[in-house]
Amino acid sequence: MEMDTKKPVPETQPWSEKFWEGTKEGKLLIQNCKDCKSVIFYPRKFCPECWSGNLDWKEASGKAKVMTFSTAYAAVEPKFMDELPYTVAYVDLEEGVRMMTRIVECKPEDVQFGMDVEVVFHEREGFFLPYFKPAKK
Amino acid sequence: MSKGKIAIIGIGEVPTQRNPNRTHWDIIYDTCMEAVKDSGLHKNDIEGVVSVTPQAQGKIAAELSFGKLPEELGLKGCKDTVSCNAGGASTSNCLRLAEEWVTTGLAKAVIVQHVTLHSTIPLAEQINFFAKAGVDLQWEYPFGPTYNIIMGLMANYFMHKNGYTPEEMASVVTALRSWANRDPNSMLYGKEVPSVEKVLGSGMLNTPLHKSEANLLGDGGCAMVVVSAEDAKAMKRPAAYKLSDSVRYFSGTCVMRDFDQVAEGFRVTCKEALAQAGITKEDVSLWNCYLAYPLVHPMAAEWLGVAPPGQGGKYFLQGRMSFGGDIPWSTIGDAPGRGHTGSGVSAASYVETARQLMGKAGERQVKNCKYVFQNTAGGSGFNNIASIWGKEI
Repeated sequence: MEMDTKKPVPETQPWSEKFWEGTKEGKLLIQNCKDCKSVIFYPRKFCPECWSGNLDWKEASGKAKVMTFSTAYAAVEPKFMDELPYTVAYVDLEEGVRMMTRIVECKPEDVQFGMDVEVVFHEREGFFLPYFKPAKK
Repeated sequence: MSKGKIAIIGIGEVPTQRNPNRTHWDIIYDTCMEAVKDSGLHKNDIEGVVSVTPQAQGKIAAELSFGKLPEELGLKGCKDTVSCNAGGASTSNCLRLAEEWVTTGLAKAVIVQHVTLHSTIPLAEQINFFAKAGVDLQWEYPFGPTYNIIMGLMANYFMHKNGYTPEEMASVVTALRSWANRDPNSMLYGKEVPSVEKVLGSGMLNTPLHKSEANLLGDGGCAMVVVSAEDAKAMKRPAAYKLSDSVRYFSGTCVMRDFDQVAEGFRVTCKEALAQAGITKEDVSLWNCYLAYPLVHPMAAEWLGVAPPGQGGKYFLQGRMSFGGDIPWSTIGDAPGRGHTGSGVSAASYVETARQLMGKAGERQVKNCKYVFQNTAGGSGFNNIASIWGKEI
């Protein structure tokens, strides 16, 4: 078996395609339940709170805060080696949901807990991954 | 509630090492035969076999799932066999299955076994498996996480929140390796116990994880013979009695895991397990924690009430959890000390729990070992299972 060096794209579900369509237009769409008003991430087929299928999408502000992070310097998959060092983070969106992402346009040593960040989309084979960069002050 | 229904009366284990010349079946023969001999039973007394399904090893997983083990070992009295996997929590669930079979009368004696051969899995496959296992393929994997990074995210959060220093975190490796150094079944048996300075100087993999704080993949296997508590008592042989079982589910994907909920889950399951067993934390002789990565240990020490809030890291740095310290803790050195055998480190932990309660732990034997706290956790931390095991019922 040869080393797989092809970078992965998201393995989507029918109900998450709207999210990825939104990213192509520079929009970060978050699912909402029209019945119980829950804000849902990651997207589901039915609301995880009330099992309603009455779901909708709202564009998020794209603003978030860094909840935690880890900067990789080694021992990642060969397909990501060319990107080292890189910082993986959990960010909390203003809308109240959390995402895994990358922190970009920032030196690893400058990433801070609670840092204000904003979404920036990075293209990979037709998918636009929501990364985050330090927010403009 | 499961207090006092089953006991482990026999154990068998092979040294953890990287040895592709040893086949899965080599190990299964050795561990199962040793466990049955240790139990004092005859092979034909075994009426059930429960295996941990080996991850990323399709051929042996299929053979075990489709019932080959009783036939291969000539277990003529076997009534049924099954395999199951819940990541690092697999062995807890295999023991629950054994408990079900024993308490319903389906089987009087059950073998619970695990085997893993990482050294026969091609490197590319190993890397790819561990990059994807327990990581969501849509919302996490494209961003390039690894198991090390997932643990780094959690450790960084708690270092920031609780104020742990890198020295305190590194001292966990020193503590775990001090036990492994004295464990003939460890990959690091007899090997130098690294100082805090050496751990911190080993190079950064991903913040805050240094190379010496990551795991070595190894091959291994072990087996246990389980019977009813009544039968174990009647046999008047050394045994480990299961006294309680408490569990909480957290989340399947890493990003959905609320770290504070994990902390609360550890607290609650420990409290429930102690209460169910009818003991207090002061009665616990050994905290046999399976946490896979050293970085989680200081937090766990606080969550379990072994160390006061904010003191978990200091306790490790002071050597209190090391060999010779006053708090016996993870006496096989958890995965960083033992070598990581996939879903099998928890199996090795249970064998160690039984070994300690049976008084067979040699140099690592905890004095007057009466009650052991044993936890397991699955995947990248989707749950926590806490149980108490006792020397007597």
